[in-house]
Amino acid sequence: MSSVDSAIAAKLKRKLKHKPKPKAGIAAAKPRKHRLHLPPADDAATAGIDLTSMSPAMVDRLFWRAGFGPTEADRTQWTGAPVGAVVDSLLGSASTLAGTAGTNSGKALDPTNEDTDLVLSRVDQMVRSTTPFVERMKFFWHRHFANSRDSVSPPQLLLQQNDLFQKYSDFATYPTATFSQLAHDITVNPSMLRYLTGEDNVKGAPNENYARELMELFALGVVNLNGQSNYAQSDVTGLAKAFSGWVINDANPDAATSSFDKSRWYDGPKIVFGKFANLDSTSGVDLVLGQPNHATFITRKLWLEFITQPPDAATQATLNSTYASAGTQLKPLLKYILTHPALFTSIGEPDMIKPPVVYVVGAMRALGVGVTDSTAADFLDSMGQVPYFPPNVSGWEGGLAWLNTNTALARFGFIGQLLSKGKITDAGATETPAAAYSRAYSAVLEPWLAPATQAAIQDYATRAGSSSSTLRIERQIMLRALMLAGPDAQVM
Amino acid sequence: MSDSPLHNSADVKALKCADCARSDSLVSDLKPTDVMPIPADALAGFPDGVPRAKRTAHGHSRRAFMRNGLIGAASIYSATKLDWTSVWESAIARADGPMQKSIVCIYLNGGNDGLNAVVPIDATNFAAYNAARANIARVLGPSGGGKVGTTVMGGTGGTMAFANPLVSGTGNNGDTKGFDTLYGDGSGGAGSDLAVFPAADYTPPNLSHFESRDYWFAGALQGMATGWLGRWLDAYGTMDNPLQAISLDSSLSKQIRSNKAPVCAIEGLNGAAFTVPNVKSSSPNSEVQKLAAVQASAGNVALARSRQIYGLTVDVSNRLHTLTTVTPGAGYPANSDLSRKLQLAATLLGANLGTRVITIDWGSFDTHGDQVTSQDPQFAVLSSALGAFKADLAARGIEQNVVTMVFSEFGRRVMSNDSLGTDHGAGGMMLVSGSAVRGGLASPHPGLTKLDNDGDLVVETDFRSVYQALIAEWLGGDPTQVLPGGPFAGVHRYDGGTQLMK
Repeated sequence: MSSVDSAIAAKLKRKLKHKPKPKAGIAAAKPRKHRLHLPPADDAATAGIDLTSMSPAMVDRLFWRAGFGPTEADRTQWTGAPVGAVVDSLLGSASTLAGTAGTNSGKALDPTNEDTDLVLSRVDQMVRSTTPFVERMKFFWHRHFANSRDSVSPPQLLLQQNDLFQKYSDFATYPTATFSQLAHDITVNPSMLRYLTGEDNVKGAPNENYARELMELFALGVVNLNGQSNYAQSDVTGLAKAFSGWVINDANPDAATSSFDKSRWYDGPKIVFGKFANLDSTSGVDLVLGQPNHATFITRKLWLEFITQPPDAATQATLNSTYASAGTQLKPLLKYILTHPALFTSIGEPDMIKPPVVYVVGAMRALGVGVTDSTAADFLDSMGQVPYFPPNVSGWEGGLAWLNTNTALARFGFIGQLLSKGKITDAGATETPAAAYSRAYSAVLEPWLAPATQAAIQDYATRAGSSSSTLRIERQIMLRALMLAGPDAQVM
Repeated sequence: MSDSPLHNSADVKALKCADCARSDSLVSDLKPTDVMPIPADALAGFPDGVPRAKRTAHGHSRRAFMRNGLIGAASIYSATKLDWTSVWESAIARADGPMQKSIVCIYLNGGNDGLNAVVPIDATNFAAYNAARANIARVLGPSGGGKVGTTVMGGTGGTMAFANPLVSGTGNNGDTKGFDTLYGDGSGGAGSDLAVFPAADYTPPNLSHFESRDYWFAGALQGMATGWLGRWLDAYGTMDNPLQAISLDSSLSKQIRSNKAPVCAIEGLNGAAFTVPNVKSSSPNSEVQKLAAVQASAGNVALARSRQIYGLTVDVSNRLHTLTTVTPGAGYPANSDLSRKLQLAATLLGANLGTRVITIDWGSFDTHGDQVTSQDPQFAVLSSALGAFKADLAARGIEQNVVTMVFSEFGRRVMSNDSLGTDHGAGGMMLVSGSAVRGGLASPHPGLTKLDNDGDLVVETDFRSVYQALIAEWLGGDPTQVLPGGPFAGVHRYDGGTQLMK
């Protein structure tokens, strides 16, 4: 960013900071006008971005990309603060749950006996978490090392795996967590051994399932950025032998473990990546993580979790060196990504589609609705993303594919359900259309809406009937639905 | 059929005989070879050519077709494995061309009593009618409900009337948009668009639901595995577009069962609209449409995608609900499966996907008991639905390309039974509707004084002669290639004409 840009941004920021908060009522009918003052995003990718003093839009962006959307408190606390301070907070806050535990139609969630409750338990954690970033990271690992309840029983294995992911997501408690250790852990994780049939991988009958996915999906990718293969079939074959011998002990599902049975292990030399050695699971994983494309593969995937545009070559190099020099530690890498100006491109017009889980949890948090029935699980199903039920080992495709006519209806319908759970009152016959708009906007935590979208919704407010209490309440419900469930609410 | 989403309890169910229940299960024995997703874009006319661009660029053609969402599924019946990507691509290509002539076949399930729809009112025949149907006969007269109309049908020499007031005009206590309006003056000229065959069947008649329906569907009296329209498609249809013939049902009608031409069954389309619980005074769908119309900045593909998809959802939903909004006063009867199926037929035909044949199986006409109370409401629905369908097609600008045929597997005994109903008989009623059709009494009525050995109407028209005329004069092709045993005697109208179409 040029110094001129910084100066403009600082000026804008000062202007905003001193802008009085609009009173409830007419003044707020032109909400979040500050966004309109920002230069268009396509001018220069990060024009108007001041990393030393975050605008409200930047706070919103960061809390959506690294959480489930901002609270009013987040905006108050962090507007004007440097990005680094916010990110330090995200990476330095332990995971705790607030509020009362979710229920399903009056009954405590029973995730090990009811799959719907298993899904709801995950949603409940996300909705109640005081550190949404930790939940987002855990969910990232679930999508990266995708295991499905469809072929993992008992379900305790998945819950246990989720606990494992916590160690690589809660950087207050585990500040030096490394991807390397995660890769070793997940290789012999009971859920993974079951899902990718590693428990069937014995000497004399090698099972290539996990060896292939470790390289293809978890650590290397099929090809590098130049289109060259990262491994050959012979590497899969050799690595599979190295990974043989592991068994699951799940007689007590609540304390399932895996253990190495040497008699089932292929005890002999294997050739993997040209190395001739008697590899086992530990040295096998190390060998994979030592491959040239590993750093690029994993850092790029993490980058694209938070940032729309892929890193350029120079940034990729920095990502790789940040990752490697810290011995595959995750915290420094995440700090680099989350404080990168590229996170704030197109700041005036969000340009990433909210994954269903983020959309659902974000709306529940914004409206203060907890898990009390199966609504969230049902709608996540219609939207195409049920936690613990990824479609296959590569997780969910995501991106633009999240949205189609069926999922759009589900996304819109879900908000209607949430709104119907709350009590929306009539503010009386004197409430003007502008005041109705303002009240609705405030109630849904002032989400981003394009100026033309705001105008269209305000226009609705003026056209909507208001001659009776019923009509005014319907107007209020509609306003909130249009703000929280329309096309603009799908991006972050 | 009771588990069909199109089923609605408002449609009257008549007493069914065991044979009919048996035939229900036998007629749907064919298993689909594939299921083809119906992309939302198909009903929106494939805006922006979305699937095509994606296909050439990335080769992810299947995903590309589905990525904008699905509105339903078509069960495909095809001798060869079809790549449904190319099916939709050819459908897109076809959608740009002119619409071809098509036929909609409405099968009145169970054996419809034609005498309760059209009846001779000359003194001799009406006396015979009263005698034979003493317990359910209608009184002749214009005032009050439940009368046979005194307004005679034009072009019948003053001897025929719509027997059921529910299907006749204001002068006869009915509404104004049904059979009699379509029938017009019966001259077969402009505005006379409904041809009535009062006693169409075959001889000797077979009074088994299953056997007789099989003959009607097959267009042949010997056990043929294919349907008459299926064989027409084999000879004159395409080999790559299953949408050329559609059964609006969970399974395929034998009418379009073919040897090699692909055909399909579509149970329904999901064109759900955006709704908000507890909001009745505003239309979320139209408000969302406005939000979807906002332009995203260049390069913001995520926001552009979101608005495009929201807009597409509204668009598809509107298209699937065009009847009530686009054709004011078209008056499809509410809460009827037939209305829903005809609306779906109009939507599919309007999308111009190369569809030549649509079959609809509707109703419960096996009126062994309480005939008047079970058949009358169904005829009221049929009458106004046919009128509404024609108006709907006209509003879409395609009415001149569509002919609708109504038939049943047989007629019913002239003499009513003690249950206020009628048993299986011969000489059923056929209707052919459309502005291209030469309306009027398309065959003389055989009369009620001279019945066959079973006490049934004498068959005046071989149903295959109507099929023959539909092929020769409308769909195109050589009827003898399709209908074994032909050629059949031609149409012989009451007024002496020999043409089915204008």
